[in-house]
Amino acid sequence: MRRSKKNTEKYIALSAEGKKFEFRDILNGEVKVNNKTQKIKFRQNNGLNFIIYKNKKYLVDILEKDQNKYEIIVNGIGHSFTVESPFSYRRKKFLEKSKQNSKTESITAPMPGKIVDVLVENHAEINKGEPIIILEAMKMQNEILSHVSGTIKNIHVKKNENVMKDDLILEVEK
Amino acid sequence: MKITKLLIANRGEIAVRIIKTANKLGIKTCCIKTSHEPKAHYLSLADEIIDFTDIVSDVPEFLDVDRIIEAAVAHKVDAIHPGYGFLAESPYFAQRCDDEGITFVGPSADAIYKMGNKTIAKQIATKHKVPLLQGSHGNVSNFDEAIQIADKIGYPVILKAASGGGGRGMRIVEKASQMEKMFKLASNEAEKAFNDPSVFIEKYVRNPRHIEFQIFGDKQGNIIHLGERECSIQRKHQKLIEECPSPALSPELREEMGAEAISIADAVGYYSAGTVEFLLDEDKKFYFMEMNTRIQVEHPVTEEVTGLDLIEMQIKVAEGDSLPIKQEDVQLNGWAMELRINAEDVQAGFSPSLGVVHKVIYPTGPGIRVDTGMYDDSVISPNFDSMVAKLIVHADTREEVIKTLKNALNSFWIRGVKTTVPFHKYVLSHKKFMKGDINTSFIEKELDAFYETDQDEIMLAAFLASYDFAKELENESADDVNFEKGKEINPWVLNKRLKSL
Repeated sequence: MRRSKKNTEKYIALSAEGKKFEFRDILNGEVKVNNKTQKIKFRQNNGLNFIIYKNKKYLVDILEKDQNKYEIIVNGIGHSFTVESPFSYRRKKFLEKSKQNSKTESITAPMPGKIVDVLVENHAEINKGEPIIILEAMKMQNEILSHVSGTIKNIHVKKNENVMKDDLILEVEK
Repeated sequence: MKITKLLIANRGEIAVRIIKTANKLGIKTCCIKTSHEPKAHYLSLADEIIDFTDIVSDVPEFLDVDRIIEAAVAHKVDAIHPGYGFLAESPYFAQRCDDEGITFVGPSADAIYKMGNKTIAKQIATKHKVPLLQGSHGNVSNFDEAIQIADKIGYPVILKAASGGGGRGMRIVEKASQMEKMFKLASNEAEKAFNDPSVFIEKYVRNPRHIEFQIFGDKQGNIIHLGERECSIQRKHQKLIEECPSPALSPELREEMGAEAISIADAVGYYSAGTVEFLLDEDKKFYFMEMNTRIQVEHPVTEEVTGLDLIEMQIKVAEGDSLPIKQEDVQLNGWAMELRINAEDVQAGFSPSLGVVHKVIYPTGPGIRVDTGMYDDSVISPNFDSMVAKLIVHADTREEVIKTLKNALNSFWIRGVKTTVPFHKYVLSHKKFMKGDINTSFIEKELDAFYETDQDEIMLAAFLASYDFAKELENESADDVNFEKGKEINPWVLNKRLKSL
């Protein structure tokens, strides 16, 4: 009974860029685009995953998933989505509203690499676009710039440390 | 002296490329196995393996001259091909080969030294009246001195590592206030990459084309050029697309630049394959930049257009043969272009996309050539460069080359890492690129994005995420005992199972 209920449920996929897609009866492999129902087929070939849609073949892959967060690859391009039910979607909206009032902004590593130099100090003022660290990746030194203006709060990295992508570098109080 | 056993002191696609020619010539090959990729494809093609996997050392395997020489002696090889990269540009390595009586497949240690040191190379060019950009005469010791020189020659200027190459240790300075920071960055990077912090300064030409000439010499003193390659599509001085010939050169200009390239090579008694790099400005004036004393990553486009095997020529010249052709025999037939497919995330500023290549299928067809060392289950490791493959197309015209490349990119299938395929698709469709209206600032100035995605692709991504999520929820709520729970199960497997019910 519960199974059939889930089947008819609506799912909402939200992209990192703020695009919103709604799917009903998704397990039937159908989507409604501009009020027209289109068939979506899965094909597996030589260890590669394809979707066939409107007679076109797309190479797709689930690169990462963590609960309801997905990183999907379509023809080599990554798309980040979170999938919500109508209920969790409402809750998410509410939480986002309260987060906007927060005053701290995190700066994370845009790529994996080694910290060659930390150019800022705790409690220092920083302007948007100013360099905060030098990160070496693939033998290239890259300046990582601050995307916000404010006061440096917590520096989480040290010189000569290795960081992974999305590791927290420091926090800025706006 | 005939070479019978060749040590290839490199990895990846260039090792594979050299093995191919060695096999053709009946030469036994010897490759180095490192702990970073002990199952690499190139090793499966070698006749003999030198095992470096147990070695614990701070010096990366392919930078360790002494160890490689020691291994070469122990394995009784009579020649070493360094491929491209550090060993190919190390006069010390070439000299050590010489001292041990091992044939170095490349130019003399003296030529590598003179051309490898850009300050000396510029002095040689000046002496032979080859056009040059103004700059510091020699290295610059600190940023104060750099500011003085820059004031004299005018901004913008570029700082370059004296022992550098491949874009490392290079910084453009637009105004005096940036000099201190940029000088430090360039010097730091130079020290890390080349063990030599010295930098020099020169005038920076805006929007130039990168035109390089493939030259070839033998030990008898003959030197010819095999036409040019245009490598203007660069990001942070790393080449991404190369072609032969260049849409910018007339036969007259080709002849003129080719003659200058030969005169530079001649000045150091050059033999083997070499590349003389020029900048070509908007008024078709050209300036000598540097000479690379090795086979280049982009050598296939020259091979396709000239019909020559450059690795074979390198080996024959190393054996003491004279060049098989004269300048008047060199013919440029049609057009060739090479795309470097790197494991880089174009959505994250071309940051390396490390990991396992679970599956890869390369395009095939008339005029398509793929040079690669990466196959299923190959690893993209942070220890090496991120190249997956070089996709090369040869056809009658530039338009046909671009068309074939676009089709080839659409059947370049890879799973496991992100690659620069979407970037190349985007560039190949760019109006200015299609017209051949390119320069080294093309990526920076002409591209408003590095890739394209359409509404259907985004919708399908959303669909796949939602589908997978719904499927998991369904599994969780099923009343049956779920033996699959916790296992990786994807829609494709499910699809198959449902079908077979």
